[in-house]
Amino acid sequence: MRIKDLPDENLFVCGHTACPGCGVALSIRNAIRILGKDTSVYVPASCAVVFGSTYPYGAWKVPFFHTAFENTGACLTGMQAAFEKKGKKVISVGFAGDGGTYDIGLQSMSGAAERNDDVLYICVDNEAYMNTGIQRSGGTPFGAWTTTTPVGSKVQGNRTFKKNLGEIVAAHDIPYYATLSIGHPLDFIKKVEKAKDIKGFRFLHMFTPCVPGWKIDPAKTIEVTKRAVESGMWTLYEVENGEKRITHKPGKMKSVKDYLMMQGRFRHMSPEDLKKLQGWVCKKWNLHYKEKGAPEICEIELPEEHHAVTEEHREMHGP
Amino acid sequence: MFELRFHGRGGQGAVMAAQTIAEAAVIEGNYAVAFPFFGAERRGAPVLAFARIDSKKIYSKTQVYAPDCEVVLDDSLLDTIDVVSGLKPDGIVVINSKDKPEDIDLGKEIRTGAVDATSVALEILKAPITNTAILGALAKATGIIKIESIEEAIKRRFGEKLGAKVGERNALAARTAYDRTVVGKSKGIKKLETKKQWLPSYQELPVGGVLVEGRTEAGLIGPGSFVENKVFGWATFRPVRDKEKCTMCLLCWFYCPEGTIVRISDRGDLMTNYDYCKGCGICANECPVDAIKMVRGKT
Repeated sequence: MRIKDLPDENLFVCGHTACPGCGVALSIRNAIRILGKDTSVYVPASCAVVFGSTYPYGAWKVPFFHTAFENTGACLTGMQAAFEKKGKKVISVGFAGDGGTYDIGLQSMSGAAERNDDVLYICVDNEAYMNTGIQRSGGTPFGAWTTTTPVGSKVQGNRTFKKNLGEIVAAHDIPYYATLSIGHPLDFIKKVEKAKDIKGFRFLHMFTPCVPGWKIDPAKTIEVTKRAVESGMWTLYEVENGEKRITHKPGKMKSVKDYLMMQGRFRHMSPEDLKKLQGWVCKKWNLHYKEKGAPEICEIELPEEHHAVTEEHREMHGP
Repeated sequence: MFELRFHGRGGQGAVMAAQTIAEAAVIEGNYAVAFPFFGAERRGAPVLAFARIDSKKIYSKTQVYAPDCEVVLDDSLLDTIDVVSGLKPDGIVVINSKDKPEDIDLGKEIRTGAVDATSVALEILKAPITNTAILGALAKATGIIKIESIEEAIKRRFGEKLGAKVGERNALAARTAYDRTVVGKSKGIKKLETKKQWLPSYQELPVGGVLVEGRTEAGLIGPGSFVENKVFGWATFRPVRDKEKCTMCLLCWFYCPEGTIVRISDRGDLMTNYDYCKGCGICANECPVDAIKMVRGKT
């Protein structure tokens, strides 16, 4: 399916209250468009609950259900069991954030994956708990500023690297796991369509920038996603029945600095930290793209001057 | 006691404005408190903040229901919120608007100070963050606090958080707005109806809170009812498409987080529904042939 073959009908209506330029709203809208009407949605506590449905109003035109934070997997299992019992052919899909998947909902997701329930689990990964005001999650990358990993004189930003959720999920031997990016529409459409038709536990991992949390210009939501893939911070691949396949390989690896400096949350990073993160990205790049030896990019000289938050940037986005 | 209520949108700095005015009052040797109203606010959604200033200690902790001064950081809020509700008869409204006070319809004839704070902010700060500019207008219109104290408070508060240079720039924005503020009397023609709420009794409330599509006297409820929530007021800039240049690649249609770009399949054309456009600018940024431009103001 190409973009122009997508149906016109909007199942996630206009008038929702997401921030301008929201990556999550964008992914949800397009995913549900492809999945179609015979879908039932579960959303745990997240931004998507707040902007998608504020009782008694809602943006969803498909059945929508919400209970607690940690039980996306269990709820999807229950929903699907009920539909099967009633003899209805419905896709149960859950849109959980990175907090609800990496940290709080991991056990429930793992349970559903282990049972190989016939549900579609979608993780919209914006790399922190954005709904509650930008707190660090397991998905937060190294060096990123959040309110719980502040930038001070001794410690600057998050000290741990992003958890490799893909490996954790794929280790459950599920039929389908894929990473998606909203900056690559064709790949996005292909993977959602594929997940729609497969039977068993499917997991789609979407990379969705957050405008206030990442401190980016709302117009750059897509651009930043593309840069993430080009720099190796995000990799587009799928694991189908244990077989891993890269679906999009960027031409030449770009310096991670280009990606980081677009975002306020990374502007403070010192040359040492940049180097450390670049090393991590290079390792990841080699692992995914099966290239031997670190690419030349690792040798690229990182800037001498300290990247303090620039004046202009502060004006735009606050501290 | 002098009470202020701030109406703004998330991201414009209404909370910071309330805190800064309180700080300015403290600089002048008064007592002051400032606090926001907490809700599930996103960037661009209407927000509320309050401040109280007195020469004695302040013990009142409630929200401000009968303000002496109403500060409106965005005049698009006038369409949806009755900003003057509860305002004291001898109160004053300070508003960010391109119009003169005489042309602003607040639904009540009231003393009004108007300034085009968005232009001031775009000129000096290069971003539509209007909180510091509106403080300058506040000083001019109310006279309750001297502009010098406001400048000092801005420098302290913003300087501490964002660096001295930013503080000075914001103080300049306040001074510029102070000079440009016009005080007059507003019009009182329109009657703003407060939006009715859906308040079902327990017998009417569906079991388990399950909602189906329905219409109540408060409007639509249930699935898809957000279509009644027009969010055009959030936008500062709006996209305009050049049909000549457009190649109908549909990327903007795919990339729009709001779904404001509507495809009309049978005509093979696109249409922008400005009622729901929040002006994020993704479409203009991603258009491969630069057919979309972001334009300030209503289209």
